[in-house]
Amino acid sequence: MNFLPRCFGLLLCAMFAALVASDAISADPPLGLPSVPVPSDNPMTAEKIALGKQLYFDGRLSADNKVSCASCHDPAKGFSNGDRFATGVEGKKGGRSAPTVINTAYGTLQFWDGRAKTLEDQALGPIQNPIEMNLTLDAVIKKLNGINGYKTQFKKVFGTDGATADGIAKAIAAYERTVISGNAPFDRFKAGDTKALSEAAQRGQKLFFGKAHCSACHAGPNFSDNSFHNVGVGMDKKDFDKGRADISKLAGDTGAFKTPTLREIAKSGPYFHDGSAKTLEEVVDHYAKGGIPNEWLDEEIFNIKIASTEKADLVKFLTEGLSSPDYPDHKAPDLPK
Amino acid sequence: MIRSMAFLLCGSIALTAVAQDAKPTAVLSGIDNPCGIAVQGATGHIFIAAHSGVHRFDPKSGKAHVEISGFPTDIYGKGPKYNVGPLGLAFWDDEHLIVGDGSRPDGDELVRIFKVGKDAVHKDHEPIKEGAAVATLGPIKASEESAKGEGNFYGVASNGKSIFITCNGDDTKGWIAKSTAANGKPGALKLSIATKVATEVDAPVPVIFSLDGKDLVVGQMGEVSTPPGDSLLSIYDPETGKLKKNYKTGLNDIAGLAYSPKTKKLYATDYSWSDPKAGGLFRLDIDGDAIKAVKIASLDKPTALAFDKSGVLYVAVFGTVPEGSDKPAGSLVKFDSGL
Repeated sequence: MNFLPRCFGLLLCAMFAALVASDAISADPPLGLPSVPVPSDNPMTAEKIALGKQLYFDGRLSADNKVSCASCHDPAKGFSNGDRFATGVEGKKGGRSAPTVINTAYGTLQFWDGRAKTLEDQALGPIQNPIEMNLTLDAVIKKLNGINGYKTQFKKVFGTDGATADGIAKAIAAYERTVISGNAPFDRFKAGDTKALSEAAQRGQKLFFGKAHCSACHAGPNFSDNSFHNVGVGMDKKDFDKGRADISKLAGDTGAFKTPTLREIAKSGPYFHDGSAKTLEEVVDHYAKGGIPNEWLDEEIFNIKIASTEKADLVKFLTEGLSSPDYPDHKAPDLPK
Repeated sequence: MIRSMAFLLCGSIALTAVAQDAKPTAVLSGIDNPCGIAVQGATGHIFIAAHSGVHRFDPKSGKAHVEISGFPTDIYGKGPKYNVGPLGLAFWDDEHLIVGDGSRPDGDELVRIFKVGKDAVHKDHEPIKEGAAVATLGPIKASEESAKGEGNFYGVASNGKSIFITCNGDDTKGWIAKSTAANGKPGALKLSIATKVATEVDAPVPVIFSLDGKDLVVGQMGEVSTPPGDSLLSIYDPETGKLKKNYKTGLNDIAGLAYSPKTKKLYATDYSWSDPKAGGLFRLDIDGDAIKAVKIASLDKPTALAFDKSGVLYVAVFGTVPEGSDKPAGSLVKFDSGL
């Protein structure tokens, strides 16, 4: 199969390779994934990634010094937080589940509703959100510039006199582009290793790409079409979450949310935008029933006749087939003082 | 330890170039949601598939009438919503028009072939009823290969020996169906090429033959709810169904394809569902493994396109119904020869 890079611009990337600084990161992507797209105004360097990782794990980016990006997007919990909703400063709860950061580098829009066009746009949102980290940009810049280790790094990485909003966004985004999971048993099986998947997982794979209809939306190398779908979740509530429609202003997007990646799905529960499914078995049951009926329900969601043994096979494929031995089990770095 | 990997620079590279110097001329207006176009070689008449039926337009007289009517209505989308009827069009021979259905639920839709003849357009023409087709192909019912059965037959291509139909029923496969002729008659419609399996992108829409007739050229629309420029141009071997080439066009929602008979250049329409201002008519310049989409003209949600023998390009345009109006906003526009 002659599958070209994900955007036309990438075809010309070789022309730009020579422009990348000598300390830029360069190696092959993991099996099953294409190269990570990187905006030309934010090239990857080891120093920038290291700075972004520190910022990602640093609670001082929040008003109470306790909430970091990693609080809600914890590597130990599939880069989500294991709870139904995210918990921000002073224990405040958000209204949506924390989406995983894994492979979000391949996303074309960020957040469940796609309101951020890039990882850089996304990175500053939670810092300023009153129920997440609750700091103004001026306040977080002032805090970071009061820490010598950060001020020095920002100057070295960006050539600025300390931290800036642009630098914070770029550094965090650069780090998030390293949170990648590929080389799963599914990838190895696809590449020809017939023993990479158990028989149950192979049956589940066939269901996933066939009768169970999962790949209608969970498509491509990252198991996401990067689009938005109303899958009939939470739609029985009187005041349901309108999702993408609040951003696009299109009625057809009502109750639609971004298709999440399924890579490392075993680690990132609970599931759905509202965290309403505790287990993958519950997720499969939801789809088999065709979701909660509503006038905006995606046409790809419909009742599927699937036996309980087939449901088990499907879950086996998701958990065994999409869990990588190279899981990005990042640990918190030493933070600047 | 942070895993290192390949990172590719992108973002500042323009996905498309702009050379907007061609001006469209509206030749027919008030059409309700036009989706398909075919040019009758013998007469030069333009056939347009719309919600109300298949229209015949005579460029010489400027007159039009409904040639085929009686199709049911299906509703596309969940807001905005569009009434649709017949979709893709192509000629089987000089007198027989193939019509892809969009007017029924998936699994019930049909491909009809009508004898339309070579009569001039006249005011008192009695439309052919849908049921009076000389041949009917399908439906393709639900099966292991298509969970809901097939439908939304947007694209039709024919070389007089085989008919290829793009289907948008099962989104896990993205089928192109094929009918092979025997004894001069089209055979049963069968699932042939699983385009989504081959390309990992949704929705085959336009399909045409290459100029030498050896390749099947397919536009893969991609997702409509976001404008990520994910539309593909894919080249298949029509005999084996094997994917030969796959190009990322940078277009949002490729809806139509046509080769100019004069310049041999390839043109595409981009419907651009969620960002209509980005849509329009594009020229696709292919150089080896690279492709560049050059914008020729902005159009308000263009769908199908077709050239006549002299190189005049006709484009079906959905248009936008003004708020409070119930009048159809669709039109047929033309670009004089030169493209």
